[in-house]
Amino acid sequence: MASFTFLDWFWLIAFIVLMIGSGVRFYRLGKRSESDFFLAGRGLPWWLPASSVYATHTATDTPMWVSGVVYKFGLAGLWYSFYAAWCSISAFVSTKIFRRSLAYTQAEWQSMRFGGMSGELLRGWVAGWQVFLNMFILGWVGIAMGKVCLYLFGWPLWIGLIVFSAACAVYVLAAGYWGVVMADFQQGIIAFIVIVIVSMWGMHAAGGASGIVSRLHELGEAGKLNPFQFTGFFQGDFPVAWFLTMLVIGILGGLGMGTAIDWFPEAQRIQSARTVRDASWSIWAGSALVILRNAIWAAAILAFFVLHPGLTEVKEYEMAWFRVGFENLPAGMLGFFFAAIVAIHISTISTHLNLGAVYITRDLYHHYINPKATQAQLVRIGRIGTLLLLLGSFVFGSIMENITEWLIFALWIMAAGVWLPGILQVIWWRFNGWGYLTAWVFNLVFSWLVVWVLPAFGVLPDLRDYQQFWLLMLLGALVFIPVTFLTRPEEMDRLVKFYVMSRPVGFWGPVRREAIRRGLIPGGER
Amino acid sequence: MSLFRKDWTPAEADDWGINDWIAVIVSPVIYVLILIGGALSMLLIPAGFVLLGIGIVLLVVLLRVIDPKLAAVSRGYEEKQKHYIEELERKVKWED
Repeated sequence: MASFTFLDWFWLIAFIVLMIGSGVRFYRLGKRSESDFFLAGRGLPWWLPASSVYATHTATDTPMWVSGVVYKFGLAGLWYSFYAAWCSISAFVSTKIFRRSLAYTQAEWQSMRFGGMSGELLRGWVAGWQVFLNMFILGWVGIAMGKVCLYLFGWPLWIGLIVFSAACAVYVLAAGYWGVVMADFQQGIIAFIVIVIVSMWGMHAAGGASGIVSRLHELGEAGKLNPFQFTGFFQGDFPVAWFLTMLVIGILGGLGMGTAIDWFPEAQRIQSARTVRDASWSIWAGSALVILRNAIWAAAILAFFVLHPGLTEVKEYEMAWFRVGFENLPAGMLGFFFAAIVAIHISTISTHLNLGAVYITRDLYHHYINPKATQAQLVRIGRIGTLLLLLGSFVFGSIMENITEWLIFALWIMAAGVWLPGILQVIWWRFNGWGYLTAWVFNLVFSWLVVWVLPAFGVLPDLRDYQQFWLLMLLGALVFIPVTFLTRPEEMDRLVKFYVMSRPVGFWGPVRREAIRRGLIPGGER
Repeated sequence: MSLFRKDWTPAEADDWGINDWIAVIVSPVIYVLILIGGALSMLLIPAGFVLLGIGIVLLVVLLRVIDPKLAAVSRGYEEKQKHYIEELERKVKWED
């Protein structure tokens, strides 16, 4: 258990005041309009949304996740965190398309791409799902903070879950996305500096870089230094087949929208950028920082491994990076470290509070309930939505026990059946709303069947996560492709409008020719 | 056509071309080099510094190849954005 001195408490309180204060300062900007409360008026230079992407994806549970896989698999475990690579493609494909649509949310984009009843059903569905998912993410990140506080201070889990999320809600309620992005900027800087300092400190305690490498050799664990140490093509804990699946999911996923759960916060940051160019570079740079952060963490986790080899319980080694800091930093620095953990935590909490609220406000209230709402009413609903998400997250957090298990389920399964449709909706003109809606509905059914129900009854063997992904994708395609061809294409007027505004890539030949025929875009060879 | 061309018109930049292909191939490679090169460099393994160095060179190439094209897309689009936002606000009204 940690023992805080006066200096530790000083750091902690000063950081919390700074973080909340920097968010609340933007109260006047945030309350001006719906666009300000949720997109900071679409006027941000690339480095602000970039720092927000980085800060958002540096959550309390992230070092636990990275610690778990790197402790177990060494540097090869870093590939588990390589999903962020979807941004490397998205920055130059789907980010451009989404930014040009001007949709506030992915749900709104669905109703621009797909028309009629299917478009509306999709909008309602995606909005509802996002409200649930953001509450769920808030719960799992919150309970991770509960675990950190239990480890550090012996506090009951609920204290860490509630206290810091509630403090964060102060500036999200006051200033909306303006508060989120401005606080994220300074939280991102604090978090990155502390990640570097703590990791270096931990490495020093383990004998420095060369000491770690030689100790790994002595332990017979030199393979942990090899990022490509696989256990066979299909065999073992870490097969090549898994690696290739991850690359396909991560990299090709960038062609589409909604192919990873991270797309949704990124979509908000894309729309908040002042130009298409700013949007592209913000996504690229923010995710590059995430990748670099993982690399730094990995070295510190290997330091922890040589100090504490042979741990077999996930609950022990998923705290590796936190323990590197708390077991090695001197008195007076512990508060500094904990304050950075609080920064890491509330940057993620603030994003999901505001993101869930935009779906409640823009897609549910403004679209369906009160289309003539004034800007003041919309901001008020945004604040009520924020509060509902906060309260819901406490319920979710209190019923969630094993973070890693839930994360694997969320990352692999909840996106598996809609991964391909998420790409098709961007690159193929003939894919329609009914096909996409079918994919969503059947994915929910298939994912529970494949992962939980059928193996429990012995109908299906226990499959590896990458095998589940391919099976779910195949099962989904067997349903949504026939449905697409059995239902009518979207109306050409809608497709032409969408094409001219967003200029998607891929198989859009008939729509492009129609746009040229109408004189809406220049003709000529492609 | 030069890969490092700077004088794109918005209409030309809107079409997918070789610059875009290069960007989507080089970009994930840079991420891989940052990830592996970064981790190995932290452990002072020489290969890590080499990989990071290659990553930085490729980043410069990426910027030279795609940024002028992105800038032209932005320039052309921002002229139409105000009209598009008005259209969007009209379309999102459920009763229309």
